[in-house]
Amino acid sequence: MLNPLRSEQEAFRFLLYVAAVAAVVVGLVLLIRAL
Amino acid sequence: MESASIAAGHGAHDEHHGPPAANVSSRVEAQFLGMLLFIISEIMLFGAFFTAYFFIRVVAGDEWFPIDGISLPKAVAGVNTAILISSSFTMHWALEGARNENRNALCVGLLTTFLLGLTFLTVQVNEYVHIGFSPQDHAQGSIFYGLTGLHGCHVFIGLTLLSFATIRAFRGHFTAKEHRGVEVPGIYWHFVDVMWIFVYSTVYLL
Repeated sequence: MLNPLRSEQEAFRFLLYVAAVAAVVVGLVLLIRAL
Repeated sequence: MESASIAAGHGAHDEHHGPPAANVSSRVEAQFLGMLLFIISEIMLFGAFFTAYFFIRVVAGDEWFPIDGISLPKAVAGVNTAILISSSFTMHWALEGARNENRNALCVGLLTTFLLGLTFLTVQVNEYVHIGFSPQDHAQGSIFYGLTGLHGCHVFIGLTLLSFATIRAFRGHFTAKEHRGVEVPGIYWHFVDVMWIFVYSTVYLL
């Protein structure tokens, strides 16, 4: 399981996951608002 | 029995036999526990500010920007976000350099991370100067300055830690085995970036 507190590598991977999820959520919300 | 086997495992590593000292846990590393408690306290701190933000937008139903014809500079903040995220890549590159005994990658990576972070902070201060409203103008302004300012303080702390790590890297203090002085600021720096993704998404984009 990913633990961002264990090492910098895992913290970096966690950051990439958060960025990807945030991009999807923001994109969906903006898309729904535009419709 | 279990604690004895854990102690034996630690003993092989630290050349220490018998149970751990009374003030040392055999289950949780002190460094890990410290970082965990610190991050939890940080999440609660940011959570308080986000609560105020969501109260204004969801509970009170007040308008969000543009207010009085003033919009938030989404494009400038977007470029600033890209700068901050890219600094996490250079931080990761620096750590990989430390792990592989590549001193040039470590030094250049840390220095680049520091300069990118400094650029982010400079752009944010410039944004405050030209944005056209102040914290006391309205609740939305207070929340905007509160959230972005709180994050800016964390960037400043991160830059301070990075400056120590960079100076130590240039002095050759880190090796492939011992580079905790870069690892911990690295974890903190990625945490600061994660928080900015939340701040930028909610305050500027949504």
